[in-house]
Amino acid sequence: MPDNNVFEQSFPVKGGDFANAGEASCQVKEILKEIGVGADIIRRVAIAAYEAEMNVVMYAREGEVRVSISPEMVNLIIEDEGQGIENIDLAMQEGYSTATEEMREMGFGAGMGLPNMKKNSDEFKVTSEVGKGTKIDIRIRMEKET
Amino acid sequence: MPEQLHSIKIDEGRCVGCITCMKACPTKAIRVRNRKAVIIGERCIDCGECFRVCPHRAVTPLTTSASDLEAFKMTIALPSPVLYSQFGRNAMPNEILLALKTIGFSYVFDEAWLCEMVTTAIEEYLETQDGPRPLISSTCPAVVRLIAMRYPNLLPLIIPIDAPREVAAKRYRTMKGNKHGLSPKEIGVIHITPCPAKMISINRPLGTDKSHLDGAISIRDIYGPILTVLKDLDEDMIIQQSSGVGIGWAMTGGEIRGLNMDTCLAVSGVQDVMTILDDVEAGKLKGIDYLECLICPDGCIGGPLTVENRHLAKNRVETLVKMFGEKTRVSRELVKRQYKAGFFSLKQQLEASPLPPLDPDQTKAIEKARERKEIVQKLPGTDCGACGAPDCRTLAEDVVLGHALLSDCPFMESKNDVLKSSGCHPKTRK
Repeated sequence: MPDNNVFEQSFPVKGGDFANAGEASCQVKEILKEIGVGADIIRRVAIAAYEAEMNVVMYAREGEVRVSISPEMVNLIIEDEGQGIENIDLAMQEGYSTATEEMREMGFGAGMGLPNMKKNSDEFKVTSEVGKGTKIDIRIRMEKET
Repeated sequence: MPEQLHSIKIDEGRCVGCITCMKACPTKAIRVRNRKAVIIGERCIDCGECFRVCPHRAVTPLTTSASDLEAFKMTIALPSPVLYSQFGRNAMPNEILLALKTIGFSYVFDEAWLCEMVTTAIEEYLETQDGPRPLISSTCPAVVRLIAMRYPNLLPLIIPIDAPREVAAKRYRTMKGNKHGLSPKEIGVIHITPCPAKMISINRPLGTDKSHLDGAISIRDIYGPILTVLKDLDEDMIIQQSSGVGIGWAMTGGEIRGLNMDTCLAVSGVQDVMTILDDVEAGKLKGIDYLECLICPDGCIGGPLTVENRHLAKNRVETLVKMFGEKTRVSRELVKRQYKAGFFSLKQQLEASPLPPLDPDQTKAIEKARERKEIVQKLPGTDCGACGAPDCRTLAEDVVLGHALLSDCPFMESKNDVLKSSGCHPKTRK
């Protein structure tokens, strides 16, 4: 039975769909505002969600952004079916990127995606299988405002 | 004048409760209750879209009327540069200013000149002040309100330089008051406006305690009187000081035209403005230093209280800009001095006025978000507006907040009837 104190919603993300990229993270942000979450937490969630969503758009066939919000925490799970990440340690290094020349010309692929997600999370976990897909689990705790 | 919460009101006598304005409202501030449109004050940004679309002329702008001027010993008119674009190809800006004086203002000044000075002040600010970018123009009161409500974390990006109409009012009230020994209260400084939003920035200003203006007369209302006297003007003096740099402010791109930088963007129209602000919030506007955002299509010439077709007006502005040149007549040194003295500065930090969350208690707000999602799934999703809310999601939100009932949706009723009578409904059949 779903917990009454948790709000959950999922947003499909299509690989290669640059025109609509960012929409899921934008909607996550709207919901957080409506719930009255503090501006700093919204900012961190928005950045992490956007980076993760862009990774799906750039590297995967399709995927989904799932958000669950409880009074204690925002949990983002971004799961995709795609090429996967060969070397996660390398991908976690700032500046490392496998983006194509075209993507770089559009301003993506600076090699900051995963590091930026990690920087904005309290807990961060990546699991990936080459040729199958990637799952990113981001947790951001709600600090009680004083 | 009594203090108004908003610059538009619904004339209940004319309103038939059609849903045209409710559908057009970009911030979902209108509901139809008991067959009349109702504005939800805290959601309204005074953009005037409802006024623009109402087929029954039931949306009334609350601008200053000529009789309000009788309260003052002296009156000063400050016309938006848009006024210069309203009278066809033969009327020159100076003639229009003289016509304005002829119809009864003690003094008329060329607001476009102050626009030109503000351009230089913005340039000075951008060149000398570090900090986050892009900075956003403070000119359009509807944009400032949109940001305060929907994008409160972008408020620090609004450039702390006041709008030209305010700077002009401050300057000329002091100048004429000193010269004629009048107290500030005895002078009525009136903006001639293309939109109702200026009224709200006068009655309920943001970033300052009190506006420097006393009112705003719409171009619509003053168009006829100007046209009448324009043909045979008696007076012959030079009021216009501006070049094309100031006049250009009448339309989109005007504010940034005089800036000597190519990292500036001009965006107009409410949907485009919201899209670009979403992009700023997402950090997508890298390398851009300044954003001119105007709520009306094509900028102020697209204002709801203008008379001339906005495409013709645009053509006229472009012609005037060429005619008076794109080289500023403002002394950079003078502006620098005045800028340092704080002449252009907004007095206070702009205050956020975000919409309240679904519930002040976060745990309850999460519950309500859940409830809303469940209701949205029950509703037909056609966004027909028959319930009196602009779309199904908004009805669901109103239901959760206790402002509406699920049974307000006519489709829900019929759905129940069908379910009752046949035990089956096409939408629920698996």
